[in-house]
Amino acid sequence: MKAFLERDRLIPFLDALSRQIEVIAPLATEAGAVYSTWQGQSLDLGSNPLFPPTEFLLPHKETLFRYIQESGRYTFKEDSIPPRMLFAIRPCDLHAIALLDRIFGSEPSDQAYFRRRRATSLVVLNCTNRGDECFCACLGAGPEAQDPCDLQLTDIGDGYLCQAETPAGILILQAASDLLQPALLEHDQKKARLVQLVRDAMPRDRSCHQIRQAIEIADWEALGQECLGCGGCSFVCPVCHCFNILDLGVPDGERLRCRDSCILSGFSRLTGGANPRRTAGQRLKHWYLDKFEDLPKIIGLPGCVGCGRCHLVCPAPIDRSDLRVLGNGKLENREAKI
Amino acid sequence: MSEYAPMQAEIADIDIESPNTYLITLKLLEESTDFRYLPGQFVMISVFGLGECPISIASSPTRRSLQLCIRRAGKVTNAIMDCLVGDVVGIRGPYGNGFPLHRMMRDVVIAGGGSGFATLRSLINYISDRREMFGKVAIAYGARTSQDLYFMQEYKSWQRAGMEVAVTVDIGDELWKGNVGLVTGLIDRFDLNPGSAAICGPPVMINAVARKLMERGFHLSDIYVSMERHMKCGVGKCEHCAIGPYHTCQDGPVFSYDQVREVL
Repeated sequence: MKAFLERDRLIPFLDALSRQIEVIAPLATEAGAVYSTWQGQSLDLGSNPLFPPTEFLLPHKETLFRYIQESGRYTFKEDSIPPRMLFAIRPCDLHAIALLDRIFGSEPSDQAYFRRRRATSLVVLNCTNRGDECFCACLGAGPEAQDPCDLQLTDIGDGYLCQAETPAGILILQAASDLLQPALLEHDQKKARLVQLVRDAMPRDRSCHQIRQAIEIADWEALGQECLGCGGCSFVCPVCHCFNILDLGVPDGERLRCRDSCILSGFSRLTGGANPRRTAGQRLKHWYLDKFEDLPKIIGLPGCVGCGRCHLVCPAPIDRSDLRVLGNGKLENREAKI
Repeated sequence: MSEYAPMQAEIADIDIESPNTYLITLKLLEESTDFRYLPGQFVMISVFGLGECPISIASSPTRRSLQLCIRRAGKVTNAIMDCLVGDVVGIRGPYGNGFPLHRMMRDVVIAGGGSGFATLRSLINYISDRREMFGKVAIAYGARTSQDLYFMQEYKSWQRAGMEVAVTVDIGDELWKGNVGLVTGLIDRFDLNPGSAAICGPPVMINAVARKLMERGFHLSDIYVSMERHMKCGVGKCEHCAIGPYHTCQDGPVFSYDQVREVL
């Protein structure tokens, strides 16, 4: 089912949705676009937020369960998960969700993830402009949605072409039918033209295969010397999913799942002090190998969606996605970045 | 309930194996729970409020009690060792693949170093109870000092079951009348036919033993190594224990030597 939503009807459309479900949308803030609960604030639909919407599926901190002690025995309680809509997420992040579905769905599947996932509906905003660091087309993630979602929106100038992909998506459109107009053939043609323009503007040298070749020849110890080991790249990556499990509270409390990063020096350190990845270079290389070598073997797809966030956030003079820099360890962009 | 919610188990018995290592017998509180495991598998044990850690199962599934051998090392193991009989801990699992028993049903060499011997005790007692399914069995075990040797009261019963048992320590003392030296030295003395092997211990020891066995005609893929890695989830998701495309908690902790020799 398709429909056309005029530009000035977007806010009434969101207003109608938010009366039924909590809507998470990219809000305009002083720190740039941030995904948060929409309650009438102004939106920022022009850029991809630095923190990906996947944090609503795998939060930085979540309660797995609460334990309550009574005469030496424990009872466990799970918090309820409220239904949510992720609104105007980008195709790259949608692809990341599809990857997380595979990662957490591999046996034994992770029900703590799927409880949130099943309660979340997905509305994608296809990309009609390219961010400076984007290379999603190299990895089959964008600029147009390639993965299952409920509803696709595309900004075609004077409004949005809406395409429902699931029964839930059709219900969304039906609930707001008085705001919508019929979609026309020219809307489809305009969408195809705009998406193609973005696709044409993408770099072509960052496919999984090309990055894998760069991993083989990169000087990892030199790159490791520059890495600050902050883990920022992992915390903005929509595919990174490393986590820690820890307890908070005695005798009653909660068992928490917190995001972690293989870039952090203690990530694989054993209690006795032995560390299989001792140097920052080994850890940085592992970060890349996991995405481009190991995940393709485990889930059949690389663990990168080409969003470029790791490069945007990295405080070190390392070009996180440019093959020339990764490839020979030269840090020619140092001055430009500092 | 989330798969991360543990079962509860009561500490039914505590045996002291060494000054810093206890053998703990657990009794699951949920009577209906069917807890089946294989030698080589592990559990995530938790003390509520302090967290979880992975501990290999030291008992054999052929016997009734579930036992874990715990060395004082970090926050959680310290807390477990401060527990008393009757205290309640959390248990998730069993996790991991365990030893490939059907491929080991011939002559077996078992080599352990330090606390790595705990998981091998599960295998040894399994073989002891299914003796007719295995060939010649030789056990080589090394610890730092004679104080650190685990399960000393069981060596006689293993010998009675027709298994060769050789023990050594790194540092001898006036009370110790046995061998002083490396585990590899014990293997030199075994009269062996190439068969299968199970090793658990520090990486240096694993490599030395595997090299020695290969010299004696053992095939790389017949040497099984139980790997130690930092673990958090036990279900192949948290990535702490990743070795290349393998998750130690799911694809391991038992690997054939050819799978992991590059990271040892």
